[in-house]
Parts: sequence; structure tokens; C-alpha cells
Amino acid sequence: MNVERHDIHAEDPAPYVLGALTESEVRRFESHVAACAVCRDEVERLRPAADALPRSVEPVNPAAGLKQALMAVVEADVRERDGASETVAAASKRPGALARMRKRLSAGGGRPALAWASASCALFVGVLAGGYGATQLTAEEQRGQTVAAKIDEERLPSGSGSLVVPASMRDGGVLRVHGLPALDSNSVYQVWVRRGGEMISQSLFSVGQDGEGAAAVTDDLEDADAVLITREDIGGAKAPSENPVLTVPL
Amino acid sequence: MHLVQDGDPRAFELLYDRHGGASFALAYRMVGDRVTAEDISQEAFLSIWRSRTRYQAERGSVRTWVLGIVHHRAIDALRRNLVHERRRSSAEGIEERHEAPERERTDVEAARREDARHVRSALGGLPQAQSRVIELAYFGGFSHSQIAEMLEMPIGTVKGRMRLGLEKLRQGLAEKVA
Repeated sequence: MNVERHDIHAEDPAPYVLGALTESEVRRFESHVAACAVCRDEVERLRPAADALPRSVEPVNPAAGLKQALMAVVEADVRERDGASETVAAASKRPGALARMRKRLSAGGGRPALAWASASCALFVGVLAGGYGATQLTAEEQRGQTVAAKIDEERLPSGSGSLVVPASMRDGGVLRVHGLPALDSNSVYQVWVRRGGEMISQSLFSVGQDGEGAAAVTDDLEDADAVLITREDIGGAKAPSENPVLTVPL
Repeated sequence: MHLVQDGDPRAFELLYDRHGGASFALAYRMVGDRVTAEDISQEAFLSIWRSRTRYQAERGSVRTWVLGIVHHRAIDALRRNLVHERRRSSAEGIEERHEAPERERTDVEAARREDARHVRSALGGLPQAQSRVIELAYFGGFSHSQIAEMLEMPIGTVKGRMRLGLEKLRQGLAEKVA
């Protein structure tokens, strides 16, 4: 063990377990810990105290829409995993989607259906595969982003929204809205992905009396231009019937 | 948890039901804003679903794993300035509280509330100088150098107070268990 390096890092275990080191400091400290049993023991000794801190917070119920949106993405993941070959067939009916699918397949090689299944699994499991715990996730895995929506203020004066996109934009995202008016029983909000001139329907949703709502965006967003919302008749439309009331530029 | 790791969505839903409230509460305590806290929870649980095979029981409880990921994401959000008006960590961090639904008022829920009281009591038993730096770091998402600047004290003092505070907290929690 390098004594000088230990002296440099001797007081770092506590800020490390509290998350109070910067990213570059974390990298340097973790590199040091790998070779320093003293610091490693100190981290293990202090970690239970830091891990207890979130338990001091009283539970607060999040909006019900949060769970619905989360499970919509999870179910979409499961459908993609279980129906990989069917996905190829369905996608081939859609202009643009097939080209993207072929692009992925050509990168993976092999028989199309098999290759897509393989690519799908790689995306599904590989996005966050590896070690354990928040501090061990890679920078790529941590990234994710929230993109604010632009609202048509004339039609939705108190509306707002954002799109939460996981680390890989190929995995779609979750669109969340606030302050949207509840529509009459014959109408729904419809979510679209715009790619080039193509508008691809994603999902339908309604909002509660509190104006809160959430919807899954299941398409690959990597080369998409925007995610949009329109108001449509119940059951949804094949193409938007009005200019978007909300737009998330990508 | 093994059903979650096998990719069972119903098991994952149960995991969310068990830990979603605590996760949201932690994010809310840290960022002080419901919308941002929900975004953080959403991102964290998607990350958990997609990295579910990484959980290792020997490294700690599921709850600790989940809350660790939420904490990391909240710090990331704070440092990316997603939250424009930072809330300083304080005992009154959560301004809006909701009672758990009737169905959640189980023995497990009661035990968790008792545990929360124990941890708060142990945290409250620390000298204020130590609890202050711990709360600013853990719940405020501030780095040690930011805290040193904020409190106008040397970085070494901040780190030392964190270490002493965590050490006392560890002892306090152990005494309550014993």
C-alpha cells in the first residue's frame, strides 16, 4: 500500500459513503480503495450508518400515475422480450421502422429473427448490466435525462410536461404531464413520435381531475425529432387531427 | 426478488409497491419538489428494472439497494441543476405529507415507522455541527467542498465532522438494536 496515497485519502471514506465526493474524486478514491485495506474497512464500517439515513424519512405517496407509467414501460419491455420475432414482422409493416430494424440487424449479423432477438436481449439486459449498487453503475448507465415540453399556451394555459428518457434512447421513455384539462368522455390525449415526416402513434391517456397524467413512449427515440400530444376522439386516430398541444423537441 | 430478476413484471410491481413510497419520499426530501422527485423515482425504478440482475443479496437488503440508486439519481439531478431552487436540508424538508393508504398500514409498515423514529432519534442525538454536514451532504446533495464553502470552514473539518457523525450514528443505531 502506498502510505502517501493513504494519507491523501484517509478522510475520504465518510464523504464517499454520503455521496459528497465529486465524480472525479469518486473515481480516484475507488481506485485507491481497491489497493487499501484500511480505507476499504473504513468504508464498510461507516456504510451502514449512511445506508440508515433514508430510513429516517417518512414515506410520501407519489402520484398514482407514476406507477401506471412505470408499469407501462415495463410491460412494453416484456412484450419486446417475449415477442421479439413478432416485433420484426410488425415493424416491417411500418415505413422507416424496417430500415432501423435492418440497421440493427446488420450490426448483429445472423438470421434476422434470431439476430433481432439477440439485439433485443442485449438492449434489455445490457443497458445496465454489470456490478451492483448505485455507486457501481457506470457513467453511461447513470446518465438518463429529463426533457422539458413546450406547451401551446393558448390552448393549455396551465399545462406543463416532461419526457423522462432512460440512458439508452432506444428504449423509449415516459411522458408526464401536469395541469392538463380533463377531456370529455368522447376524447383522449394521444402521444406521437415524429421522425422525419412520419408520425407514429405511441399511446393514449387521460388525465385526472388534478390534471396529472403519464404515458409510455415505446418507440426508439434515437433518431426521432419530437414527442407530441394531440387531442383525438376516443380510441385514437391514425394520424393527428390537430396541431400538437404539447411538443417535446429531441 | 428472484422473480424480479427473472423479469416478472408482477413481482416488479410488488417491489414498487413496497419501496416506491420510501423512494419518492427520499427524492422529495432531497429536491423539495414533487414533479422533480417523481421524475427521479421514475428514472430510478426504470434503471432498477433494467439492472435487476445486478442485485446481490449478500451486499445488502433490496430496500438499501433501491434507495441507494434513488439517492444517486437525486444527487445527479441536483448537480445537473435540474432543481433550480435548491432546498437546504432540514428537518422540515418535507412540507407535504400523506398518510399511507389503509392497505399499507400493516405490521411491516408499522415496523418501518418505528425504525424511522429510531434513525431520526439517533440522528437527532448527534452534535448539531455533525448532523448539519451529514444532512447537507446526504439529503442536500452538496459536495464536501461546497459544504466547506457554505459553512466557511476548512474541507478537512467538514470531512472530520462527517466521519465523527457517522461513527456516532453507527454506534447509536447499534445500541438501539442491542
